[in-house]
Amino acid sequence: MPAGRPGPAAQSARRPPPLLPLLLLCVLGAPRGGSGAHTAVISPQDPTLLIGSSLQATCSVRGDPQGPTAEGLYWTLNGRRLPPELSRILNASTLALALANLNGSRQQSGDNLVCHAQDGSILAGSCLYVGLPPEKPFNISCWSKNMKDLTCRWTPGAHGETFLHTNYSLKYKLRWYGQDNTCEEYHTVGPHSCHIPKDLALFTPYEIWVEATNRLGSARSDVLTLDILDVVTTDPPPDVHVSRVGGLEDQLSVRWVSPPALKDFLFQAKYQIRYRVEDSVDWKVVDDVSNQTSCRLAGLKPGTVYFVQVRCNPFGIYGSKKAGIWSEWSHPTAASTPRSERPGPGGGACEPRGGEPSSGPVRRELKQFLGWLKKHAYCSNLSFRLYDQWRAWMQKSHKTRNQDEGILPSGRRGSARGPAR
Amino acid sequence: MFEDFQADSSISPLPLLEAKIHQTHSLARLLTKYAEQLFQEYVQLQGDPFGRPGFSPPRPPVAGLSAPGAGHAGLPLPERLRLDAGALAALPPLLDAVRRLQAELNPRTALLRRLEEAARRARALGAALEAVLAALGAEPREPRPEPAAAAAAAAAAAAAAAGAFPAKLLGLRVCGLYRDWVSRTEADLGQLVPGGPA
Repeated sequence: MPAGRPGPAAQSARRPPPLLPLLLLCVLGAPRGGSGAHTAVISPQDPTLLIGSSLQATCSVRGDPQGPTAEGLYWTLNGRRLPPELSRILNASTLALALANLNGSRQQSGDNLVCHAQDGSILAGSCLYVGLPPEKPFNISCWSKNMKDLTCRWTPGAHGETFLHTNYSLKYKLRWYGQDNTCEEYHTVGPHSCHIPKDLALFTPYEIWVEATNRLGSARSDVLTLDILDVVTTDPPPDVHVSRVGGLEDQLSVRWVSPPALKDFLFQAKYQIRYRVEDSVDWKVVDDVSNQTSCRLAGLKPGTVYFVQVRCNPFGIYGSKKAGIWSEWSHPTAASTPRSERPGPGGGACEPRGGEPSSGPVRRELKQFLGWLKKHAYCSNLSFRLYDQWRAWMQKSHKTRNQDEGILPSGRRGSARGPAR
Repeated sequence: MFEDFQADSSISPLPLLEAKIHQTHSLARLLTKYAEQLFQEYVQLQGDPFGRPGFSPPRPPVAGLSAPGAGHAGLPLPERLRLDAGALAALPPLLDAVRRLQAELNPRTALLRRLEEAARRARALGAALEAVLAALGAEPREPRPEPAAAAAAAAAAAAAAAGAFPAKLLGLRVCGLYRDWVSRTEADLGQLVPGGPA
């Protein structure tokens, strides 16, 4: 086994030769199977260049006088032979190369520029790093899950395409004091994100920014200032249950539990409900379900399966005035409305218990109900139980009217089923 | 005992030993697949001409480890298995060294994890093979002349100092050796498996 010698690239004038134990690797300088020591050195070694710039390189052959001369040498770049007109013989042992208007590197490990002997054997190689300096990262957004951590996301400048490996570092510090800290858990919610898992202060603003660095330079984003309490989100509401409301064929009752992690703080939480028919992709959203853990969906189609989801916005925690951040939607829960022969309306809004009546057909009905109550009710104890009773009465009487008049479920008149009038 | 196990099919081997041989052979077969995947992933990340058919860079010996020789298949089986075990012991520090180089060339890629896994797998297969050899009563392999880890680390440092292209070539060589030796081990163990080729 031949003793190792340092490769010729390591012996170039720009670097001192490394100290090597006897059995070390010699990549490009060891004799190969008795063929003699034919080696070369490329200059520059591993240059970094801007896209569109030019490169002048040389391949200088070393070795025994019977070895290759510049005459037979040629270049390849990423495995493709370069046209001979780009090369020029400088002297007996040196071949020069001129490349213009370089494109961005094909791989982040560098483009492979190789000097070959006439027989195709590799004499030396150099990796070219051609790209762009990073642009300023922007659009930093952050959120805290239950006030325990902080996750931030950003957009790299120039959409991230620098053709060079670019390192992004999220930095943060307390606004008026403290040292710079560096986030360590990257790519948690996508390629440009970082997660700070602990040791975060409340009631005091943080300054957050992103630094981008590559071989051609660096860039820093604008500083984002925030208080953890202003960017709180939480888990989706658990235990979402959807059930029928007695025999009412156009209503479903939705109940849920306040997210447990923040349940002691959610004095002003907002909830949002969305629902859709089983075989539809269009969700209907019920907004502004304020600070309650139940809601009634009305104006639904009878005999139809609905999927329902709920999410929570824990705004106003510890007096924060900011909008808050919606949680993810809860897992879909399904239920079906009772069947009916009477065609139902297409959809409606949520009727919060004890709250304001919502708009649309329900509102009209409620107006009628109140008018009816004025005439018929002798007590002032209005309740939705009474309202339910009235609705049930309305539906019964509507069914009876339809049967008497021979009206089919589609609303068309048909042959009379009952005794003729 | 090794020769008896090999030559006399009427001797029924200890069930545990047979199971151990089967197990080690299966492990070698699995690692052969992983080693090929590692090689392909490696060449892809280095870019052309790495991985192109006909790419034939220099292949000097690496820190005392060379590829299985042409005469390897002609050696007696115990000797082959000892050479396999020796190679598997030499590979982990070389794979670690390549991983450190690739951390600069291809940071934050899955290749780094694969190289780490390859080092662990080579250790595991080497240990299993040593256990089989010990159970068969074969002579232990000779200890290596110097700490393998130090030699591999120095090799990596030399390659890094020589430039990115020599560093890429070193990794190509090591991944190729890993693939060759694991595959060789699978073939050699296959001859120990009862019913396998003689």
